[in-house]
Amino acid sequence: MRAFAGSSAASASLSLLVVEDDAADAEYVREALTDAGHEVAVAADGPAALVLGRSRSFDVLIIDRMLPGMDGLTLLGALRASGVDAPALFVTALGAVGDRVAGLEAGGDDYLVKPFAFAELKARVHALNRRRANARPATLLQSGDLTLDRIERQARVAGAAVDLLPLEYRLLEFLLLNLGQPVTRKMLLEEVWGFRFDPRTNIVETHISRLRAKLDRPGAAPLIQTVRGAGYVIGG
Amino acid sequence: MSSAAERPAAWRAAAGLWRRTGVRQMLLQTLVVAAAFVIAGVLAQASIARLSEAGIRRQVLGEAGSMVEEWRQHGAAHLPHTIRKRSRLWRGFEYGLARPDGRLVEGDPDIVVAAAGWREATAGGRTILAYTQRLPDGSWLSVGQDESVQRRQASAVASALWACGGAGVLIALGVSALLYRRTWLRVDRLAQTAALVSAGDLKVRAPQRRAAKADDIDDLARDFNGMLDRIERLIAQVRQVTSDVAHDLRTPLTRVRHRLERLETAAADHPALAESVRQIDADIAETLRTFDALLHLADIESASTPPGMADLADVAARVTDAYRPDIEESGRSVEARFTSAKVFGDADLLAQLVANLLENAMRHTPTGTRIRVVVEADAGTARLSVVDDGPGVPEHLRAAALAPLVRLEPSRNTPGSGLGLSIVAAVATRHRAQLTLGDAAPGLAVTATFPAAA
Repeated sequence: MRAFAGSSAASASLSLLVVEDDAADAEYVREALTDAGHEVAVAADGPAALVLGRSRSFDVLIIDRMLPGMDGLTLLGALRASGVDAPALFVTALGAVGDRVAGLEAGGDDYLVKPFAFAELKARVHALNRRRANARPATLLQSGDLTLDRIERQARVAGAAVDLLPLEYRLLEFLLLNLGQPVTRKMLLEEVWGFRFDPRTNIVETHISRLRAKLDRPGAAPLIQTVRGAGYVIGG
Repeated sequence: MSSAAERPAAWRAAAGLWRRTGVRQMLLQTLVVAAAFVIAGVLAQASIARLSEAGIRRQVLGEAGSMVEEWRQHGAAHLPHTIRKRSRLWRGFEYGLARPDGRLVEGDPDIVVAAAGWREATAGGRTILAYTQRLPDGSWLSVGQDESVQRRQASAVASALWACGGAGVLIALGVSALLYRRTWLRVDRLAQTAALVSAGDLKVRAPQRRAAKADDIDDLARDFNGMLDRIERLIAQVRQVTSDVAHDLRTPLTRVRHRLERLETAAADHPALAESVRQIDADIAETLRTFDALLHLADIESASTPPGMADLADVAARVTDAYRPDIEESGRSVEARFTSAKVFGDADLLAQLVANLLENAMRHTPTGTRIRVVVEADAGTARLSVVDDGPGVPEHLRAAALAPLVRLEPSRNTPGSGLGLSIVAAVATRHRAQLTLGDAAPGLAVTATFPAAA
């Protein structure tokens, strides 16, 4: 088992803007993200964030939806209007069915309900940055001797074809698109299965273990690694 | 104009009219008016007939008396001459003179009889009321008058009465319909408002007129609107409280979890300490799950039918595929039979409904249980069923199984918040689906029947 630390070779240092009115929480988030090797700017309210966001370019914006004065949705609208196109992650204490949709419609790219684990936040920040970097889709994904041909929809390990069920293919593809970065159970549920609720069973674990059984060769190190408290990772 | 296709619509309209307030009273009133006219008409006609017959008799007796007088003054030989003259002058009477043996001497053979008294004779389409008397020389003199003139008068009176009666009935109907129409339209608007509210639109209000013109329907509309104002306020309050509670509870818990994460990192050299920190975090996570499920339940219950459309078969296939390895790993089996069935609603919520049913079927059955997921469509409905051949739920406990936080095992030590089926019920209600828990003999069959979309 490999501990996930910020020192991973693949984890690029990103410049992040955190907009959070709760000072203590903003500080925890800043520390956690700084420890992970990122450069973090913090704004306590909408107007301050607007000034910061327009003056510098950030890789990812992390915005609390409930801010005093100008709420998160309005803030992002204003930033988008002035040409800021960095992916935005809404962090919110509102978890109602309509709230997430409203967040995404306002130009948000992802939505995280409080209280969240740092690992979840870090993984999502990386995934958002990665999604923008992957704007031109690669047709061949690779890690070690594992390749995934996205045109033939065929996985190969050391040249030998491995037959995957559609769900297993999507699972492997998502892990490879986030090469070297852990993806959380929650992210997999949302991206691979389209589930926005929390199943009380081990569906992710069971699918991962079936996928491992197909990909791993005896004696070799497992391709998909479990990162405790964070999720799963391939490569890196 | 009256094609076959139009007729059922007309029938429906008539049936709809019958159900309206006042229509039955209106028809009853009309019936009373019509009955009054009929009774009056019959009585009037009877008395006209009686009066006209009495008049004829009087006139006939007078004419007969004058004829007898003629006989006395001018003698028997002159009477046939008088009859001819009077017939020629046409005084409105028919005459007949017969010998004592009954043979006709002069006049109308139809009214001549050899018997004294009144009789009615019909001849050539006429009805003649005739009086016959014996003259002192033994011959028979008959004088009669045609009744058909009076009959025509009576029937003219009757037609006039019928026409007036019919017009009266139509006018009564028309005036009542005009008066009731406004009431119906206003009741309709109230009903439409109520229907919109039931469909989830809390902003609509029933129309109300100015206080000066207000009547009991306006009072009803005012009270109805007052009730809607209150419902809207209460729902807004519940939403506000829910989101405030969510915010006020989640913000400090976020801090707690973040402190715990730092604590765990700091305790890297003390495995026992790090483990208990993880335990605390797991307990907080479990509390939050129940809390989130309750908030989620309130959220689903307070909203209306979500917009959008989803194919139940797609949703069920996606969820069943996700759970299949887990179900199989647990020693149970799952089979699926899906027919495309489109419903109005939210695919995420519907996926949760199917997932909760599958989790429920896994949690409350022994290993070896077979679970079946079926999506079917028929006229107007889409049906989703999750059926197992496990122990089932006794009939008297089925309603309780859907209530929040209820668990049928008294020990409460199996995992689960007790909210799974409540969320299923709430999602079903929000999609206007009928949820039933049935006996699969053996096992439990949970079926949600949705109104089909197109």
